[in-house]
Amino acid sequence: MSTKQRLILAAACVAAMLSACVPEPADVQGASVERLYTIFFIVAAVVFALVAGLITWSLVRYRAKPGDELPEQFDRNLKLELTWFAIPLATVVVLFVLSAGVLGEVNAESPDPSVIVNVEGYQWGWRFTYEGSGVEVIGDADDRPEIVLPVGRPLTFTLDSADVVHSFWVPRFLIKRDMVPGQQNSLSLTISDAGVYRGVCTEFCGLLHSKMNFVLRAVPPAQFESWLEEQRTIDGDG
Amino acid sequence: MATVDSRERGTAVAPQHDRPKGGVVDWLTTTDHKKIGILYLVSAVGFFLFSGLLSLVIRAELAAPGLQIVGHQEYNELFTMHGTGMVFFFVVPTAIGLGNYFVPLQIGAPDVAYPRLNAFTYWLYIAGGLITFSGFLTAGGAAAVGWTGYAPLSSNTFSPGAGVDLWIVGLLLSGVSGILGAINFMATIFGMRVPGMTMFRMPIFCWNILVTSGLILFTFPVLSAAFAMLYIDRQIGGFFFDPSAGGDPILWQHLFWFFGHPEVYIMILPFFGVVTEIIPVFSRKPVFGYSGFVFATLLIGGYSLSVWAHHMFTTGAVNNPFFAATSMIIAVPTGVKFFNWIATMWRGKISMQTPMLFSVGFLFMFLIGGITGVFLASPPIDYHVHDTYYVVAHFHYVLFGGSVFAIFAAFYYWIPKISGRLMNEGLGKLHFWLLIIGFNMTFFPMHVLGLNGMNRRIADYSSASGFQPLNILATAGAGILALAVTVFLINFFVSMRKGEPAGDDPWGGYSLEWATTSPPPPHNFHRIPPVHSERPVFDDRANRGGAGAGGGPRGPGSG
Repeated sequence: MSTKQRLILAAACVAAMLSACVPEPADVQGASVERLYTIFFIVAAVVFALVAGLITWSLVRYRAKPGDELPEQFDRNLKLELTWFAIPLATVVVLFVLSAGVLGEVNAESPDPSVIVNVEGYQWGWRFTYEGSGVEVIGDADDRPEIVLPVGRPLTFTLDSADVVHSFWVPRFLIKRDMVPGQQNSLSLTISDAGVYRGVCTEFCGLLHSKMNFVLRAVPPAQFESWLEEQRTIDGDG
Repeated sequence: MATVDSRERGTAVAPQHDRPKGGVVDWLTTTDHKKIGILYLVSAVGFFLFSGLLSLVIRAELAAPGLQIVGHQEYNELFTMHGTGMVFFFVVPTAIGLGNYFVPLQIGAPDVAYPRLNAFTYWLYIAGGLITFSGFLTAGGAAAVGWTGYAPLSSNTFSPGAGVDLWIVGLLLSGVSGILGAINFMATIFGMRVPGMTMFRMPIFCWNILVTSGLILFTFPVLSAAFAMLYIDRQIGGFFFDPSAGGDPILWQHLFWFFGHPEVYIMILPFFGVVTEIIPVFSRKPVFGYSGFVFATLLIGGYSLSVWAHHMFTTGAVNNPFFAATSMIIAVPTGVKFFNWIATMWRGKISMQTPMLFSVGFLFMFLIGGITGVFLASPPIDYHVHDTYYVVAHFHYVLFGGSVFAIFAAFYYWIPKISGRLMNEGLGKLHFWLLIIGFNMTFFPMHVLGLNGMNRRIADYSSASGFQPLNILATAGAGILALAVTVFLINFFVSMRKGEPAGDDPWGGYSLEWATTSPPPPHNFHRIPPVHSERPVFDDRANRGGAGAGGGPRGPGSG
């Protein structure tokens, strides 16, 4: 085992970390999360490079050789120790302040959402009710539900559960919220990009947890209105 | 100060000499802390191997979309019991086993404070483990509620069947065992240090076992209470956690994580202690910033009681900024430790034998796990990665990259003391390289999977998700990990039969366990060197003078 191998290992780790980004956000709130993640990532990369570099340097530079004398037995340096207490402290304080700012943005509730969808999770499916229009989309593990929502409009999901704890997550939104029985949660966001997105339950909820999925189709507002009208007609006929 | 003879100290010691040595009855009835330590370690490794086999089935299942090997129910049992086994019956008991064997030796005591209680904690632990895992033998299978057992999924309504009841009872027993063990460690450390060994001359490993014991004492009763409440809900018609009757599922999460996050530190602090023992010896320097280490450990212990709800950021039921602040601040003392480890190596004379090799592996891997932990402490980022494979990657970097690498470091460092024989260095190095390659292949891709939307605890994923290539990589890595562990077992069995005799002090150690024979006699010491610093054996060697007075690792392959 050589120092070269260890350097290669460290380089590989850094390269692999660089490939680890969040997916492109499809909503306004997700874009804030992405910016925060990027800042964290840069700080993390610097910290990793610094600490891993110091460890690697020590191992390379201070390797014992046959016939070595005992090295100098120093064991303290208060100034140095206070310094390396202060630097991480300052770093996390900055990261905390940044996080708290973004937290306020992504937690903000839309004062006047143009669409409110009541989402109820159950083992192992979803019931989506569009408030005001009475349109309901239901589906489960065998029959994945597909909902449609408008781009560029403030949306609010109210989240509830009929049985155990579930969690509502569209990975491309970069935010999730739990659905807790007996507790009304909500999630407000504005979709920025049209597209078809995968939604999943992210809180383990029993036997068919892995199949508790849904599809979210984000379309221009006009198209959404006509979809909603269509659904209302179907529901009315049924 | 004069040499202290342990036989003159009048501490109660169980009458080992009445019994036949080494027989089955002796092992079943022993109160010798060393034998109990060995029982703990062997049992813990047994649970490690079994829980590891469960994870190999998990990895095999996830290599391809669709269900090929197990069904949904079996898969859910597998990850539940894998997590339960590793956390409660492998990592913590390994720390307790190492503590059992080495705390009395390091503080110059003939045994722990309460030897019979010590035996009782072991038998409670083993009973708890067997009861927990016996769920596999019941008709409904083992518990399938995740190791976190979230209510109300874990209620009788949603998880009927004896598996969950056995899981609760087994964990209750192991919890009680942990509490009693913690009391024993604290009494031993406070009351049985050899004259001269002040608290601030005590090896860092003992400090870390002490702080860990304090954390166990604060948090295991909460866990035990939560399990008792869950049992009442399931069997006696209670509704602590049943929302339909006015109970609160979030209460379970609070109780569980009030235990569960300090548990993370219970699982890592003893192993911080281990690498803090090894790095100075293999750098031939004293530990840098001894008081800093102790201070950082105390800070981590205290702060760890105030961070639990970062596991609950997405519940909408907790004060996210408060728990974000405490969770980020706890990274600071951990960072301090990293700098102290580096400063210990700085301008030293580093020998890279297996204990040091695994300790260095620990430094690199735990660094990654620690850094991703800060991401998870930020609520907005957690909103994205919570309950995804990113979290799975993070805690495996902490618990496997951290704890397990340090556990192997401890094995290579201390098995020669326990057995009198050195482990084979060549096989040990092969073990290390297979382990670190397999580990990173298995768990690094999980960061990427999680960020890209792979949620955790799923038996299956769709072929359209694009998750398969990285899952294949992870499964291949798990195969290499299995190979690495096999190499370790071969090394162990071969070395125990044919290994080079270790002598009293194969590494040029600093602490008192190296002042006695390998293995130590029943009462641990024939002679204890005087303790004037935190390195009594180093001082003793220097006082006796002669060539190579500073010591330094002698083991095989040291040139």
